[in-house]
Amino acid sequence: MTAKLQQPTKARFKIGDRVRVVDMPYLFYSRTQMYVRGVEGTIAAYTYEDLIPEDEAFNLDGEVEQYYIVRFRQQDIWPEYPFANDTLQTESPERWLEPVTTHKKEKSS
Amino acid sequence: MSASHHHDHPHEHKAAPTVDEITDFEVLEIAVRELAIEHGLFTAEEHRRFTEWAESIGPAGGSRLVAKAWTDPEFKALVLENATEACKQIGVDWSEPTGFGTPSDYTHLIVLEDTPTLHHVIVCTLCSCYPRPLLGMSPEWYRTTNYRRRIVRWPRQVLAEFGLILPEEVEIRVEDSNQKCRFMVLPVRPEGTGGWSEEQLAEIVTRDCMIGVALPKPDRKVDTHPVRKALRPVGSTSQESSK
Amino acid sequence: MSSEDCTNRIPILEGIRNQGKTWEVLAPRYGVTNENPPWKTSLVAMCSCLGTSEALPALDIRESEDELADSVYCSVPAPERQLLALAHTMLDRGLVTETELADRMTQIRSRLEAV
Repeated sequence: MTAKLQQPTKARFKIGDRVRVVDMPYLFYSRTQMYVRGVEGTIAAYTYEDLIPEDEAFNLDGEVEQYYIVRFRQQDIWPEYPFANDTLQTESPERWLEPVTTHKKEKSS
Repeated sequence: MSASHHHDHPHEHKAAPTVDEITDFEVLEIAVRELAIEHGLFTAEEHRRFTEWAESIGPAGGSRLVAKAWTDPEFKALVLENATEACKQIGVDWSEPTGFGTPSDYTHLIVLEDTPTLHHVIVCTLCSCYPRPLLGMSPEWYRTTNYRRRIVRWPRQVLAEFGLILPEEVEIRVEDSNQKCRFMVLPVRPEGTGGWSEEQLAEIVTRDCMIGVALPKPDRKVDTHPVRKALRPVGSTSQESSK
Repeated sequence: MSSEDCTNRIPILEGIRNQGKTWEVLAPRYGVTNENPPWKTSLVAMCSCLGTSEALPALDIRESEDELADSVYCSVPAPERQLLALAHTMLDRGLVTETELADRMTQIRSRLEAV
């Protein structure tokens, strides 16, 4: 993806980094979907800096952080997904991502 | 729905047909709106501004954007690098009607480029976010939990229900717009459109093509997917267990 | 995701729904080809306005709408389903009462019919 909506100023991750979606408890609601929790993906693009949604929804005075497009293999998300080439992308704020330091064995389909 | 003029007939001048009854739905909408304003949930002015905006949007903007991208490589590069700027050039301003966009469309648009080996389809699993300034109001099927849940899990099945079947070698990439970015698909320009004008090209870029559930074709000007029940709706037992 | 439809019915909304006078039915009867009733854009505008209000933040409306759309109002076509779901949500949260709604509807109907 060539789009890069704002120049990142303090992004932890760069394009191509392997990341994992963390599975955090949250107080009210979260825009991080259950189906990607714990799944590994790749940073595909930067989008913008913003408050994380949980903070924004209740107007707390939170810091801003970088948002990213993360790309996943469908076979890493769903058990027995039949098509090896298919992918899925979602957008995530930085705090919902952690670096993958070792390459875990990919799920077999 | 055009008026017909029959001056040589003694009949009354025929106006365009209207639904000639006041339904309780119509009355309910007004009642909810008036009470909401009276209870301070929003102002009449805010409502008026958003209504005007809602009436101004439609898929024509998206069609023009795609047609121009197909014929103008510099414009296409702008579409992919800075989509909201490209939109301004074809007359769509994402900052309307507040100067900061709307509370569900925002101002962060990304256009996803299809290639012969990569096909995008958009969804919002959490609600039904949609690039309304470019495509107008989302179609009803896009808003159903049926589409939203199944397109991420079984994209090829859902696309097949729309009549779109792609070979396994083509990567199908589902884009779930779960935050503030909004997405639209830039389809591959089809064969058989050589030498076409932008206007001709725009005619075959329908809303479904820009969502990613259809491919543009030289002879296809209308989205005609049937309004139908899914083959394997959410909750059905004929499929694998969900998630 | 509840598919029960026996709980949480609101009488005034059931009354409206049961008349069945949806756009899907009426438009062809009158030969009108518009896909949507004239009040649809006003409804969309309302949802946008409510998206900024604290009483009904946007994701909340969507969740309520989804639940109701999949249960109580699942057989109602859009946009009537969306309208009923919105009214239902507002009634449920006490933003509006059934009596207020019924009275206002009566007033509005006389206003419209007097024209």
